[in-house]
Amino acid sequence: MFKKNLTLKILLFLVFSDFLETFTQFCFKKSSLSQSGFYIRELADVATFLKGVSASPFLWIGLLSVLLTFIIWSAILSKIDLSVAVPIASFSYILVPLVSIIFLHEKINALKWVGISFILAGVVFVSLSSKERKAVP
Amino acid sequence: MNPDLIFILFLIALTGICDTINQLFLKSSIDSLKIPHTANIFKILQFIIKLIKIPQIWIGFLFTVVSLCIWLFVLSKSDLNFAFSADSMHYIFIALGSGIILKEKVGLMRWAGTICIIMGIILVSLA
Repeated sequence: MFKKNLTLKILLFLVFSDFLETFTQFCFKKSSLSQSGFYIRELADVATFLKGVSASPFLWIGLLSVLLTFIIWSAILSKIDLSVAVPIASFSYILVPLVSIIFLHEKINALKWVGISFILAGVVFVSLSSKERKAVP
Repeated sequence: MNPDLIFILFLIALTGICDTINQLFLKSSIDSLKIPHTANIFKILQFIIKLIKIPQIWIGFLFTVVSLCIWLFVLSKSDLNFAFSADSMHYIFIALGSGIILKEKVGLMRWAGTICIIMGIILVSLA
């Protein structure tokens, strides 16, 4: 009974870390958008690029979100295999389109639905492979 | 394919490899510690503090910084859609690294699931 609860908890943790991950990506894209016309030709350009990006508050919010993700992610990895945790974390690819459909009333084409079902099937396969491993120690 | 695209793909693969190295360091460091079997937030924080005293974590962190810099550059050059779909190749690196270095049992089922997810991500990102 305790073990079963733990598994559900890990899954919830994974979904939460996915939300954070998505939020982080959003922040990073926002911060780098300000530098879209930028070309890096020499090493000094990298510094200028980083300086420009760090002027955006979104970079710092994103980094804070990275820190929180690290703590949650470490807690998850202490419980399950890396080759299970990482594929299951791909849940965020489903979350974003679903949130877009439900809250933003976006239209999703058929090919995207096929993709979403592929990801779901993959997550189920990977989860099953984890249980199989525990059954035969 | 134009050379720009190949260069971007190479950079995305590089971020995937850097992230995988970081994850491998992180996972092996966590496995080397005694894991608290509790949901107590203070115990978990104690565990995190013990964790960040391990030097391998910081080597992994360096790889993340490199990966982040490359990733920010990639995002300034290409669509988030394209970058994300190409980034799905890091699931292969993770499966390989976990199997070879961490000796996790990556069986047929897990590979099938991983490949399914990669195909799904490419469809979702590009469709």
